[in-house]
Amino acid sequence: MGDKPIWEQIGSSFVQHYYQLFDADRTQLGAIYIDASCLTWEGQHYLGKAAIVEKLSSLPFQKIAHSITAQDHQPTPDSCILSMVVGQLKADDDPIMGFHQSFILKKMNDAWVCTNDTFRLAIHNFG
Amino acid sequence: MGDKPLWEQIGSQFVQLYYQHFDNDRVKVGDLYYDDCFMTFEGSTLRGKNNVMAKLSSLPFQAIQHIITAQDHQPTPDSCVMSMVMGQLKADQDQVMGFQQVFLLRNFDNKWLCTNEMFRLSLHNFA
Repeated sequence: MGDKPIWEQIGSSFVQHYYQLFDADRTQLGAIYIDASCLTWEGQHYLGKAAIVEKLSSLPFQKIAHSITAQDHQPTPDSCILSMVVGQLKADDDPIMGFHQSFILKKMNDAWVCTNDTFRLAIHNFG
Repeated sequence: MGDKPLWEQIGSQFVQLYYQHFDNDRVKVGDLYYDDCFMTFEGSTLRGKNNVMAKLSSLPFQAIQHIITAQDHQPTPDSCVMSMVMGQLKADQDQVMGFQQVFLLRNFDNKWLCTNEMFRLSLHNFA
């Protein structure tokens, strides 16, 4: 773990934590967002921790499991971290679907929070 | 166009220009990067515009065409714009493939340049 750049360590820890929390109890995701966070979920925008948690909590499935296929992390000029995730998910008994998600992480008061989150299902990618 | 938030205008204009250059004259894409940019292409990270352009110029196809399925833009806390693109591409006579790309744009002297970019083909999304 010591060989990876710090932004990769932070990014991959965040990503692991995010999906673990999402899959176990997504109503608890509030801690990773702040009042200025933006979520774009399938093209719809949500601003602020409360609106984001409300949206995620209200998603119409009981069970969800995310599986990460690939993840990339980079440092940004403002000392934030940009992360991109490609993976698959399964909600309840629905068929497995691909998804794309991007995050920007910012350090605030010694903790890394998510200020930007964009999610799309990969169902568009068929000609 | 006046109805869209500013970051959406900036993001969508950048995205349109990026793929227009990429598909018609790949060398021109260099105008859109900040000198000290990061690019992660299929998991390999490059730093610096020169390295990025060397990589893009060396990609093994003559003709390339991108079609955007969906794009999402958000303002970041540090006044940047994050753009996530999902689409399809066709290189030479290869079959159409899905791709995902993320750009972080920053304003330098009234010009919006890309400081961070990530690209992945969506080949992973099949169980």
